[in-house]
Amino acid sequence: MKKIKIPIGPQHPALKEPISLRITVEGEVIKDADVRLGYNHRGIEKLAESRTYVQNIYLMERICGICSHSHTTCFVQGVESLCGLEVPKRGLFIRMLVCELERIHSHYLWLGVAAHEAGFDSLFMYTWRDREVVMDLLEIISGNRVHYAINTIGGVRRDLSEVQKEKILEGIQFLKKRMEYYTNLGTTEPSFVARVSGVGILPKEKAMSLCAVGPTLRASGIASDIRKDDPYAAYDEIPFSVCTATSCDVLGRVVVRIKETMESIKIVEYLVKNLPSGEIKVRAPRKVKEGEAVSRYEAPRGENIHYIKSNGTDKPERVKVRAPTLANYPATIEMLKSGFIADIPLIFAAIDPCICCAERFVEVIDTKNENTQVLTMAEIKKRYSKSQGLKKGSSVWPL
Amino acid sequence: MNQAEIFEKIRTNLSAQITDISMPSPRRIFVSVAPEKLIETLKILKDDFGFYHLSTISGLDKITGFEVLYHLANSFVSLTVRVQIDRAKPEIISICEVIPGAILYEREIQDMFGIKVINIPDSRPLVLPDDWPEGEYPLRKDWNYQPPAETIPGEEQ
Amino acid sequence: MIERLIKWSRLKSPWILHLNTGACNACDIEIVDALTPRFDVERFGILLKASPRHADVIVCTGPVTRQMKDRIIRIYEQTPDPKFVIAVGACAMSGCVYRGAYNVIGGVDQVIPVDIYVPGCPPRPDAIIDGVVKLLQKLESSK
Repeated sequence: MKKIKIPIGPQHPALKEPISLRITVEGEVIKDADVRLGYNHRGIEKLAESRTYVQNIYLMERICGICSHSHTTCFVQGVESLCGLEVPKRGLFIRMLVCELERIHSHYLWLGVAAHEAGFDSLFMYTWRDREVVMDLLEIISGNRVHYAINTIGGVRRDLSEVQKEKILEGIQFLKKRMEYYTNLGTTEPSFVARVSGVGILPKEKAMSLCAVGPTLRASGIASDIRKDDPYAAYDEIPFSVCTATSCDVLGRVVVRIKETMESIKIVEYLVKNLPSGEIKVRAPRKVKEGEAVSRYEAPRGENIHYIKSNGTDKPERVKVRAPTLANYPATIEMLKSGFIADIPLIFAAIDPCICCAERFVEVIDTKNENTQVLTMAEIKKRYSKSQGLKKGSSVWPL
Repeated sequence: MNQAEIFEKIRTNLSAQITDISMPSPRRIFVSVAPEKLIETLKILKDDFGFYHLSTISGLDKITGFEVLYHLANSFVSLTVRVQIDRAKPEIISICEVIPGAILYEREIQDMFGIKVINIPDSRPLVLPDDWPEGEYPLRKDWNYQPPAETIPGEEQ
Repeated sequence: MIERLIKWSRLKSPWILHLNTGACNACDIEIVDALTPRFDVERFGILLKASPRHADVIVCTGPVTRQMKDRIIRIYEQTPDPKFVIAVGACAMSGCVYRGAYNVIGGVDQVIPVDIYVPGCPPRPDAIIDGVVKLLQKLESSK
């Protein structure tokens, strides 16, 4: 059968980042896939070199809007280890509290998106409604819904009062009840299970060799979690278990994330009930000693790693950021192979970025010599104007 | 196996490959390797120590030369393999044969530093835009950017 | 007569297209939030559309990256007239923290004309809804 190339992206109709995929299909079956990044590339690593450490916290926060706390935590942890700062226990607990609430909000969001891609829109609306409860809790703690700006070098910026603690426990009870309902729904609802099981298979060996991270890796049966393997903050004294699944498909990823949310809810309860008293931060020096640090963090999507090199001034020499989604792309391409076109959004949603089907590329395939070229907008305009005899500057897309 | 044991074992077993080893903070090991021994070292680390997970590859411009850092991890420690490269001849061998998941990071290094990765299975640009001029590598220290003047809509030009 | 009908329907049910021009996802999830039960803009007839050819209003988030520039112009040209652009968030207005980065051109107004700016990093869903309502008022008053 003839192979056909389908371009997908970069413009997505509902949410998430622009990215472009080229899918080679034979009939309905995907034979090969290719990713083109760079639509969202802003040059943060270069920018970070020209800003001070404190300014960089706010820049790091804006790498991602969903896991903003993970990037700041990862960054400040690295800087703290370079300065040799010991963060007070209460500061660490509040930091972890925000981190777990963020994980809950991210997994709720993901569950909704996955349900939407599987064609289960009422679950999407349900989860997003319940997600507002977490957003409210985060707003109570930090004052903002999305970019919390709670981290600072040496601790956190806001303390937790008794009233806030009560509110958190109240909200968590509600979320727990809802999550139990979703656990039941996500694993027993026959049409949903039929849609997601067996889709996007990623065998254990492949997941290991392609360096997949986070729930994608754990759904392939590997119990790897930075919170356990490389405990940061005070995770070594908190009881929780690493959730895995062995089915290696999208259903496994759903199950892992639902279980993880339940664990996170337990952790939040523990943190609030055992919040130690004391200071929330220590004073940090403006200039950071020369050295280098590797900081790892378990973000909702998987391992987040920052490499920070300082040169003794108040600006870093180099900050390297690797967000979990990038690590999961090679694995995604593997998952897409031998799947169906209809599964693309579902598989892509399962690693937790999201990609859909609005096509914004024009690919001209020259059938004579089978050359494929991707034309830029300006070129297409020129060709069209030429063929239609249009004057320069007139509208090219008559509607 | 704990971190001290791993540290000792790497120091004794890999003494032929590594030139320098240090552990500046808990669970962080840094080793230096000559470029021609990189593949060999990574193979040993992967097979004997379980460092199958590559977190990322960082590039570093040290003005006098480049440094490429391979951040590996197993379930106990995070290990960074450091390789020095000559600035006049920025080349490094691809590690995709040992760790297939390295492909995107290697493409990124090529884009951002202009370090040529030899034997890379796929050498197309990854993150930089289509109209990016050739020979410009944004993360090199000697590369500076002047943002163009902004226009404010509605104001007289 | 027809024109009045078109204007009436446009006011009662503006269809929006969400366009991410390089944003950090924060504004994007707040826009989706505005569509879900808590805020529910659908009760005002505002509908999220997947294709620019169906849309009246383009809601832009994020600074314009170099790679997206051509695509944004293209999407703007595909949208049928009359079209309106809302820039949501500080990045879409001016570039926010990314000002001066090599791959960022600046706010959305550097590439396409913008009608309404919604400030915030990210703006709350209420603010986004307020922005759309203000746009509708602007439409209503301009005969």
